[in-house]
Amino acid sequence: MLLPKFDFHAPETVNEACQMLSEYGLKAKLIAGGTDLMVNMKKKILAPEQIISISQIRELDHLDVSGDRILIGAGVTVADLCESKTIAGYLPALGQGANNLGTPLIRNLATIGGNIGSARPAADLPPGLMAYGAEVVLQSKAGIRTLPLDNFFLGPGFTALQPDEILTEIRILVPPAGSGAAYVNIGIRKAQDCNLVNVASYFALDSNGIIQNARVVMGCVGPKPFRAVSAEKILIGQKPDIQLFEKAGEAASADSQPIDDFRSCATYKRSMVGVLTQRTLQQAWTRIKNQE
Amino acid sequence: MKKLIRLTVNDREYDVAVLPNQTLVDVIRYELGLTGAKKGCEMGDCGSCTVLMDGKPVNSCLVLAMQAAGRKIQTIEGIETENGLHPVQEAFVQKGAIQCGFCSSGMILTAKSLLDKNPNPTEQDIRKSLSGNLCRCTGYQHIIEAVKSVTP
Repeated sequence: MLLPKFDFHAPETVNEACQMLSEYGLKAKLIAGGTDLMVNMKKKILAPEQIISISQIRELDHLDVSGDRILIGAGVTVADLCESKTIAGYLPALGQGANNLGTPLIRNLATIGGNIGSARPAADLPPGLMAYGAEVVLQSKAGIRTLPLDNFFLGPGFTALQPDEILTEIRILVPPAGSGAAYVNIGIRKAQDCNLVNVASYFALDSNGIIQNARVVMGCVGPKPFRAVSAEKILIGQKPDIQLFEKAGEAASADSQPIDDFRSCATYKRSMVGVLTQRTLQQAWTRIKNQE
Repeated sequence: MKKLIRLTVNDREYDVAVLPNQTLVDVIRYELGLTGAKKGCEMGDCGSCTVLMDGKPVNSCLVLAMQAAGRKIQTIEGIETENGLHPVQEAFVQKGAIQCGFCSSGMILTAKSLLDKNPNPTEQDIRKSLSGNLCRCTGYQHIIEAVKSVTP
């Protein structure tokens, strides 16, 4: 299977990569793990003239807790996320997404930055990240800006990333005590599968055990992963219990905008949004109770 | 235009002139003549092109050769020692885990990397780690049994 002809560049620093991007603009594509770009080039969907590899840039490889934030370099691989104690301890919903992405072989190549940047509506990492309220750091020759991940996705394959920008880092506030989150996805198979529906939920309790903050994020049921706002409204101000989670699930179902496709019909996806919302809320609650 | 890169494959260094758009699997097979890694789907689905890159199994059809410069690559040809076949290779022979052989090099390399990391995996661990390697003969049961037989 032939790849289009292109020139290959391997800058050592983000600054150098930004310089190249500002020069080549839309003619260039970044490559990290390559699990998305390589397939799209082989299928002749994309034919960039310049390929800028960022997989050798060491400053994109960090995964640290710094003060009240968890900082994840865009070049961290999905396999690294699966094995990280920081992720398992602080961000288990992200860990669940990482463990369900692709196959072990794909996870060794694919990066968190690529899974966000490719903006597939069924991607495994964005729902968990959005449930934790993640921000992305975008760098160009002109400087650095940050954006809530909620505002980053514009549609399938489309993001707020400008042609001269690189997604360099993901920033997440350390989740407060009394909060929990979970991610559940369903597909036809357990590995190497595109999700039918995926949901991540997060909520935080105040000292009286009342839900003071909640985020429910749905994937595969719209042009981009998005928040189930009416489900969140139902949760906030209430005490968690199964009946409440059921009501939130119904609201999330109503918020979803699935389409019929060859994977399944919209009716099924809509009803699964409800089921997965309940399951993720239940798991999140179990995680909160296990902290006590 | 071709560029000269240095590839470390099976502990041997090769200076190879490669095109920017050549994949690692193509360079390994056609430039180095190591045909153990197969070309199946070429889309990262089947795992027949599996090689170990810095000890981790990856789909070499999704890696540009130039991205592999400076990395440590191991192919099926490189895991045999002077004492004979690698224990996982030997187990595949003994347990009848090889049918047509197309998936075998990938299966064996993925299983080797699992056992290097976790010498005593459960059956579930083995199944999960091999989930990116497809066997077109559907000989999965013997493959799982072969890997299990290498564990203590």
